[in-house]
This record gives sequence, structure tokens and C-alpha cells, in this order.
Amino acid sequence: MFDDIITKSKVKSPWLYHLNTGSCNGCDIELISILTPRYDVERFGIKLTGTPRQADIVVVTGPLTSQSKDRALKVLSQVPDPKVVVSLGSCPMSGNVFKGSYSIEAPLDRFVDVDVSVAGCPPKPEAIIDGIIKAIEILKDKRG
Amino acid sequence: MEILLGLFYVLVFPGLLFCFAIGLLLLGIDRKIVARMQKRIGPPIIQPFYDFFKLMGKERIVPNKAAKKIYIIAPVIGLISIITIALFIPIDYFKTFFNNYADLVVIVYLLTIPSLAIIIGGASSGSPFGGVGASREVVLMLGYELPLVITLLAVGMKIGRLTNTAATFSLINIVDYQIKNGPAFLQWSLIPAALAFLMVIPCEIGSTPFDIADAETEICEGTMVEYGGILFGVYKLTQGIKIFVMISLFIAMFMSGIIPAVSSSIFVNSLVSIVWHMALVIVILFIAVSLLRATTARIRIEQAFKFYWTYPTALSLLSLVLVWAGL
Repeated sequence: MFDDIITKSKVKSPWLYHLNTGSCNGCDIELISILTPRYDVERFGIKLTGTPRQADIVVVTGPLTSQSKDRALKVLSQVPDPKVVVSLGSCPMSGNVFKGSYSIEAPLDRFVDVDVSVAGCPPKPEAIIDGIIKAIEILKDKRG
Repeated sequence: MEILLGLFYVLVFPGLLFCFAIGLLLLGIDRKIVARMQKRIGPPIIQPFYDFFKLMGKERIVPNKAAKKIYIIAPVIGLISIITIALFIPIDYFKTFFNNYADLVVIVYLLTIPSLAIIIGGASSGSPFGGVGASREVVLMLGYELPLVITLLAVGMKIGRLTNTAATFSLINIVDYQIKNGPAFLQWSLIPAALAFLMVIPCEIGSTPFDIADAETEICEGTMVEYGGILFGVYKLTQGIKIFVMISLFIAMFMSGIIPAVSSSIFVNSLVSIVWHMALVIVILFIAVSLLRATTARIRIEQAFKFYWTYPTALSLLSLVLVWAGL
């Protein structure tokens, strides 16, 4: 009975969970900036949650250090379906300047399916918003 | 006929369906007001409805470490008890026969149940963050219950004195007195109590300066850390209805009877008073909740506790002493 409403609501209310896997804090600050009054993604219904249990979109920053790898994968598996994984910045895409380091497990898509990747070091807020809107498009077709 | 009317009250008008709509709508209005005050566009007013239905479609996860039955049943008990309070609060001329069965004492008891449900749910989720959140919620409850109860005592005693009986705790007597003689906040000995009640509202519903128990940036949503899916939706719904119930209680105790009876028929009077009530609810939501939420940051738990046992308690005690002295 509620299927149509649920499908429509999924697009209107994507909640973000921000997962830091050893980032330098650059991308984290840029991610928080999209929630500020200047960019205001709350107009799309986007909200930052504190726990992975309530997340729809997981935004991963950082080059996935060896120490954080297991924990990051555990947190990602705690997110209920339907979920979308967004990698933010160049670090989770390729390892960026840390590529080849002994303590980096870099490309994130070796371990989980990454739906959207936003490149940049750090990416501009406009690029992040664009990436999240693309993630919402993907979220629409996913089933719980 | 009586049964049908009772079912209508429980399921439709002051009950389930109306509470569902008004609770989520008030959450949305609050978010919109805060957004506009921060010069943002903000989410649409029906955003909490989208959130609720989205949460319905999410995967249901019950953590392994949780006490399963309590974990699932706690938010539902909170929702039921808050809807029960909504049945007990008269709206100016609109009264149901439930109003005769309940007084302020019952409402005080029922108001603790949603908070208790949050505490039990958080503690049963098996997460250390849930435990921290539950302990904070207990401290907050101890903090705001004291001024709340003293405020209710002061109002009951004042109206009791004015109607030449002992202290009255019947909400219907309090509202009837105000309809005849003008709103209670014009009695100057009750003004401190009204202020204390306004200060209790944001803590009772857990909005920003007092959202210490579910602080998402420091303890990962606290008691709600393991809740996702529809159970979290029920918790958000409870929070929204709590806004409506607390503000309705404030209006019933202090601001009833501002508009005179427009016609002789009870039905028309009820309709007008309901519309007026909704407008008043939004005004008080703006003053007591949104204004505070848009301009303040979260305070620490011991600051909140200290605040509640000094200023609101002092104000409500002042009111009680003034009433006792016969002013």
C-alpha cells in the first residue's frame, strides 16, 4: 500500500553518514561546508546523522589506512539497505599522494562497491553537492 | 453511539491520525523556521513525512547484543502513552468525555513514560553510546520534572482558590474557569509559573540547547544509536507529538479562553477554538522551541541540570509562594 510513497520519499530524504578513514580533515571540512547556510543541502532533505544505522548515503573520506580498514568495512556493513557509498576526494579513489605507502590500502573499491566517486584534493562544495545528487539518483533504483 | 464516538476520538481527531499529522507537521514547521532564521531555504514543511515513510522502507536491523523484545516494544509504548495524553487535554470548547477521567497528575505520570521508553530502549540496545545517552536522559528528567510539577501545583492551587475549592487538578475545571474569567496568565502571580513552563518545553521535547541525550556529534545519537528503520521513525513521531502535547498543555493551563464563544452551538465553537489553538501552538513553538534552537548551541549535562534546578525551579516556587500567600 505504501510502496509508492516509500519510493518517492527515499529520494526526498537521503541522510548522510560521514566516515573518516584517516583523512587529513580537508575533505571533512568541505563536506561540512555543504550543510552551512551558504550551500544548504537541507533543502533537498539531506541531513547529517551520527550513526550508520540511520544512514542512506555513506560518504567515505581518507585513504583507508591499514589501521582503519577493518573498522571502516565493519561500519559500512552496519548500514541498512538501501544504501549508497560515495567516496569523497582523491584519497579513497587512488591513494592520492600516499599511493604506494606501506600503511595505505587505498582504492576503496577493492573492498566495497563504490557508487559515486568525487575527485579533488579537496573537491569543491559544488562538486560534492553534484556527487550527492548523483548518489540520490542511484539510491532511487536500489531496493531495501 | 458512545462507543463509535469514543473510537472516533481515539483513532481520528485528538487521537492517532490527527497526532500523526500534527506531530510531523510541527517538526517540519520547526525545521523551516530555523532554516529561515539562518537565512537558508530549508527543507519543505512536509519533510518529516518523507523521513518517516523513508524510514518505513529501510531494512529492519535488531542488533545481536540487544534485549530484543524490549528494544522493539519501547518506542511503541512511548508513542501510545503520548497519544493517550493528547486525548486528555481539552482544547478550549472542544472537550471529549476522556477529559473527565484524567487530571494533571495522570498527565504528569504519562509524560514520563516516553522519556522512560527512550531510556529503556537506549539501555537495551547493547551499545555503550546508548548507555551514556540513557544516563544523560535520566539526569535531564530529574532536572525538568521538578519545575514542571511545581508549576502544575501552583496553577492547580490558584484556580482552586479562585473557585473556592481546595486545589483542583482537573484540567476541565481549569479550562472552564478560564473560559468564564479570562486566561490564567493574566493573573500576575502565575506569570513566573508560565515562564518556568516555557523553559521546560525545549528540554521535555529534546530540542537543541537540551538535546544532550541524543547528541549526534559527540555520542552518535546517544540512546538512538542502534535504532534505524521504522523504530526510529516511531521515535521521531513521538518527539513531534510531544511538541504538540506540551504546547497544548501550556495553552490549556495558561492561555485558554482568549477568544469568546462565537455562536451558541458547541460544534461551531469547537471548530473555531481548534483553529485558534493550532495558530497559538505555532506561535508558542516559535517562541519556546525554534527561536532557542536557531540561536543556541548544545550545553553540557551538568549545566542543563544546574539551570533547571535554579531558574525555572525558583520561578515556579515564587509562583507557588505567591499563590499560597493569596495574591
